[in-house]
Amino acid sequence: MRIEERLYTLRYKRDEKPHLEIKDQSMCNMCHEKFGSPCIPVCPANVYSFSNGKLVVSYENCLECGACKIVCPFNNIIWRYPRYGLGISLRYG
Amino acid sequence: MKFDVIVVGAGPAGSAAAYTAAKNGYKVLIIERGSEPGAKNVSGAMIRDSVISKVFETKDMPFERIVKNVRLIFKTKESETQITVKPKEKLYTVARLKFDKWLSQKAESSGALLVTKTAVTGIEGSKVITERGEVEGDKIVLAEGANALLSMSLGLRRELKSDETVLGVKEVYSSTRDEVAKRFNLQGDEGESWRIVTDYPIPSAGFIYTYKDSVAIGVGSRVDELTQRNLRPFELLDKFKEPYLDLVKGFSLREYSAKIIPEQGFPTFKPCEGNIYVVGDALGLVDPLTFDGIGPAIISGSLAGKAESCESYSKSLYESKEILKVIRSRPLTHELLKSENLSLYVHLINDFLTSWAQGDLSNLKYYKSSLGKILKHLVLGLGVIE
Repeated sequence: MRIEERLYTLRYKRDEKPHLEIKDQSMCNMCHEKFGSPCIPVCPANVYSFSNGKLVVSYENCLECGACKIVCPFNNIIWRYPRYGLGISLRYG
Repeated sequence: MKFDVIVVGAGPAGSAAAYTAAKNGYKVLIIERGSEPGAKNVSGAMIRDSVISKVFETKDMPFERIVKNVRLIFKTKESETQITVKPKEKLYTVARLKFDKWLSQKAESSGALLVTKTAVTGIEGSKVITERGEVEGDKIVLAEGANALLSMSLGLRRELKSDETVLGVKEVYSSTRDEVAKRFNLQGDEGESWRIVTDYPIPSAGFIYTYKDSVAIGVGSRVDELTQRNLRPFELLDKFKEPYLDLVKGFSLREYSAKIIPEQGFPTFKPCEGNIYVVGDALGLVDPLTFDGIGPAIISGSLAGKAESCESYSKSLYESKEILKVIRSRPLTHELLKSENLSLYVHLINDFLTSWAQGDLSNLKYYKSSLGKILKHLVLGLGVIE
């Protein structure tokens, strides 16, 4: 099953201010070459991708699990909670 | 504004802390980041009535089904063994949104004030800082979940490492009550809960739980295993659920969620310092053998809500049966989750029972060389038992 079909079932309210940010892009470039960007495969929601020589963060898909900050070899992800009850709202949980 | 107790997070641990403190006459505020209690919470979820009822009156507890059978399934790529256990205890499956809301209502009806849609961004002394302003509390309870940003920033604990963290992914498929009953051969409120341990495609543990009108399927694997094998979490879920697709055939996918499960915590993580107390997942209190996090969360929350001092909270954690079980299981689980050991045991269980069923135990001689290891695990297992 495609990941998009899964994410489509979820209720999100987008926080305009990203709750996930990269501290230093050049670190991600180095990590991509040396470690293959572990944040990309570990994410259950395809939040991270590498395109045009840059790590792109689609934070609006985030399931707020926290796996990416655990695997980041350089502690290079600023991981916060979305503000004001925004982000994901689960029905079953 | 000033409160006696401020609780960060309205999950099971937070609501238990707030409920206990409010019942003892304290002025309590709970701050929840989600749109409502339960909206950010993920688990199987199965609970034990005997544990929940130590803190809450469970008569009106919203449950999904009463677990009639627990099926334990051990799988390798080629073989599978199922053991069906009829639980003597009262076990329930619950849906978190309803369950967590009920818990927070218990806290509210004992006098606690609940504020939702508010994330706490920092703590300075007795000041709790949120995006909407500041409040003061004599005692602060951090029930912030597995991603314990505040506890970490205050130096009470460190970040989890990838070899002490399981990443679980879960799907919920819904249909009608009758259809769920038919597929699992259930009557009335009866439910089933399946636990599946397998070494294929990677060492992982999963579950299938029946809800009222839906079925939850989930699987977890250690984060370092996932990254080393470059397996995406949802690919693992796809592989895992393949043999069970008929169970939910024609049902519609209603939800997809993910959660990290800590396999490290108290006493490595500090339970408190000064006026700050840490409870539940934030303190790493998930029983790694049974996946039960809600029980230890409620117990630790209640102990923190009651505690007169950091010292007495610490002491009460060591005196609690539920908390000790979590601490004692960790060394064994850490051993068992190593891929070569998990593989050894699922193969051993399958070979032993298959050989027994077929009346020829001679195949088991291959396990002779692993005897030392098995004995070591047995000793660790005894540490769990008492």
